[in-house]
Amino acid sequence: MTTTIMRTTARVVVPVVLVLSISLFLQGHNLPGGGFIGGVLAVAAFVLIYVAYDLDYLESGVLDRDVEPTTSIFEHRTVVAYRRALLLGLVIVLGSGIAGTLVGEPFLTQDYVHLEGVPIYHEVELASALVFDLGVFLVVVGSLLTIVSVVSSE
Amino acid sequence: MPPDLTVVSTIVALPFVAAALSPLLYRALGERTGYAGALVAAACFGLLTTQVDSHGTVGTPWVPSLDVGVQFTVDGWGLLFALLASGIGVLVFVYSAAYMHGEDGLARYYAALLAFMGSILGVALASDLVLVFLFWELTSLCSFVLIGHYTDDDESRYSARMAMVVTVGGGLCLLAALLLLAVAARGALGGVTFDLTAMLANGEAMRAALRETGLFVPALVLVVVAAAAKSAQVPLHFWLPNAMVAPTPVSAFLHSATMVKVGVYFLGRLRPLLASDEWTLLVATLGLLTMLVGALLAVAATDTKELLAYSTASHLGLMVAGFGFDVVYGGEAGAFHLLNHALFKAPLFLVAGIVAHEAGSRSLEALGGLWRDLPLTAAVAGVAGLSMAGIPPFNGFYSKELLFEAAYEVAHEAGGLAWLYPAVATIASVFTVVYSLKFLAMFVGERRAPVDDVHRPPVALVAPPAVLAAAAAVVSISPQLAVDAIVQSAVEATATGDAHLEVGLPTHLSPPVAMSAVAVLGGFAAYPFTGRLAALVGRGLDTPLPVRPSGWYDWTVTTATSASAQFGPLVHNGVLRTYVSWVAAAGSALALAGFAVAAGLPAIDGLGAPLAVVVVLAVAVVAAVAVITASSHVAGVLTLSILGFMLAIFFILASAPDLALTQLVVETLVLLIFLLVLQRLPSFYSDARRLALARDAGVSVLVGAMAFVAVLLTARGPGADPTAVASYYTEQAVPGGGGTNVVNVILVDFRAFDTLGELLVVTVAALAILVLVTMRTRAEESGTESTEERPADGGDAP
Repeated sequence: MTTTIMRTTARVVVPVVLVLSISLFLQGHNLPGGGFIGGVLAVAAFVLIYVAYDLDYLESGVLDRDVEPTTSIFEHRTVVAYRRALLLGLVIVLGSGIAGTLVGEPFLTQDYVHLEGVPIYHEVELASALVFDLGVFLVVVGSLLTIVSVVSSE
Repeated sequence: MPPDLTVVSTIVALPFVAAALSPLLYRALGERTGYAGALVAAACFGLLTTQVDSHGTVGTPWVPSLDVGVQFTVDGWGLLFALLASGIGVLVFVYSAAYMHGEDGLARYYAALLAFMGSILGVALASDLVLVFLFWELTSLCSFVLIGHYTDDDESRYSARMAMVVTVGGGLCLLAALLLLAVAARGALGGVTFDLTAMLANGEAMRAALRETGLFVPALVLVVVAAAAKSAQVPLHFWLPNAMVAPTPVSAFLHSATMVKVGVYFLGRLRPLLASDEWTLLVATLGLLTMLVGALLAVAATDTKELLAYSTASHLGLMVAGFGFDVVYGGEAGAFHLLNHALFKAPLFLVAGIVAHEAGSRSLEALGGLWRDLPLTAAVAGVAGLSMAGIPPFNGFYSKELLFEAAYEVAHEAGGLAWLYPAVATIASVFTVVYSLKFLAMFVGERRAPVDDVHRPPVALVAPPAVLAAAAAVVSISPQLAVDAIVQSAVEATATGDAHLEVGLPTHLSPPVAMSAVAVLGGFAAYPFTGRLAALVGRGLDTPLPVRPSGWYDWTVTTATSASAQFGPLVHNGVLRTYVSWVAAAGSALALAGFAVAAGLPAIDGLGAPLAVVVVLAVAVVAAVAVITASSHVAGVLTLSILGFMLAIFFILASAPDLALTQLVVETLVLLIFLLVLQRLPSFYSDARRLALARDAGVSVLVGAMAFVAVLLTARGPGADPTAVASYYTEQAVPGGGGTNVVNVILVDFRAFDTLGELLVVTVAALAILVLVTMRTRAEESGTESTEERPADGGDAP
């Protein structure tokens, strides 16, 4: 699938998809979107890179680092990063749940505040659920990408 | 005075804690762990005696939404059973310490025995049906470990499995019965509850609710089957003699005092709730039949423990029959005999153990004249054996007399066929006398040839049965003492009306007294013909399969084994595709069957779909057809995506933007993953077999039909009002969660715990795949010399 058309398309599409993914994630509380949908969309962007180039491209082409010739897929730096994202997501989800218990609320209690008079946006709503949703986002991204990269390298 | 919750829960918890600690105890104490166990049992017994004066229910909530609680009731009936279990427990632990001298696996043995005692105490005191079920199954589990103590022995394993299958199977019937009772409680007590005390307190309303819903007979039958399996009633009595392979202290504990009596105990518990004509017909008949069959089989037994096991079945039948009769005497017979039977059967088992230990034989034909070598044991056996036979004035006589009175009274009132009740009871009692004499015969007469060297048993072996026999003797001499202490309150808890138990030796001739006279005299008269009787019973046992219960047990088990051996490879053949088709087909078939039973076929009145939806769905159908006819993988995947995107558009038209967005994103991802995989697959399909095609078509039609019917039945019409849950979320989304996207607010605010669970599922899936692939890679690296790579599709080419 590593044709020129595919690569050119990917080059244009992937940034758009990633931005869209973040926007969907951020607007999720009030408009269609949210951590899960945003996460899956981000995964789609990564898989597109994967299809057009390969797993090493993220290392060599994007981050401009040398790819270490590792023996197995599990020690591949990118896959390790995916696993870290998965774990970080879980930690954030649990942490946001426990945070509520510190002020005497039940586990996973969420709260929100409205901030008035912010420049440009005028009024901003800050919801603690966004932190929870960030955890969801990271778990989805980390786990799906781990699965896809490990299985497809088989 | 209400009981103290702390004390009661300590009584139940203490044995379990001790069981968990027993490996440590064993390391510290070695074979003296038995004495530690005896201490634990004694502590339970002591704590129980502090609760003798208290009556009532205490507990704390466990699952409040279902009204399930950790709830205990202390009353005479539960106390009697718990006191027996812990009291005999003390003696069994002392006896074990001497009897299990030099055996392996003692840590496991004591742990199981302690947990077993704890479960029995739990059943006795629990008054929440869920808790009762929990402890009930725990007794089955512990007895499985105890019966199968000699894990290297085939017979031991076979018997343990048999006991497990029968008693746990019965336990499942109990579970079903409990659910029926809980359903009835919704009508009678105004809410789902598993609170047995409340059910018993509102017996009239419960019965009415059960009758109204038509659940009375099913619940009754399920309870009786569960109790019959546990208490070895005909035709499920066969596991009890097989359980004799367990070490003797276990037999004494299992068969005399505790586990087999759990069924009887529970029948007594539910008797006030379920007593009716059907109850009498079923329970009394079952009990008397078991009493007769058990007695006959005991007469034919050649092994001391086998004889005692069959006699236990027979006496359990007596108690069950007592509880079956809906007269005052019936409950009295059942409750009093529970005590008496424990007091004479436990020492008899322990005596059998002493004889086997010291004389080295369990065969009744090889043993004789043992009173010279074992005088104290013989005296103990004499008291207990005569009590088992029901010879006045020994304690077994009183409770059997009560059964005779109950049977006579019921027959006198009902007339006709009911006269069979007293007749069968009397005949069974004749055989009871015969086998009791047969057991005692090993102590009298001349020494027989094969046994010559008989040792003196140590004190720790003789003392426990002697204590029990002394207790039996006390009850024999002054039955009113036991009645006043505990039996009267036990009778009150199981009685259907007012009951005042008075026992004593008969002073004038009445029909029940005549029945007793016939039983005792008939027994002594029939004793000389024991051999011929045994031969007759033996000939009956040799009849073909269906008659012999253990025969059909074996047949069922072997058939199930061979059928699953044939069926297994068909389902589980290592090809992922096969698994998917089985799971999909079976799941869909079950769901369809469930819909057919519960709802019937839905009616379709016109389509009523807007034009846009029709167009989108039509495109989806065309795409679906194109998927089937696609000639290459790429074409197939692309057409499948068309189908998926059409669904997304359908969601948009149906005003579900979040769903549509998810569908779009997932569809894109799936398409990309397919593309990734396609690099490794051949570009075109190979030729498919017609049979496989037909099978796949069948499965897909089934799944499609299931999905179609499920949507039709569960989806609400476009004009329907939103449900209460739906409007709650819509109204509360902004004030409660601060978000206008209701779906997202539900995900992260209202039902965040569900989301957390789903995240864990995703994580576990990722980790499972990682582990699977790692293991495969490692196996390939270490397993074979060849570094040849396996085909990417795992050998399952389409």
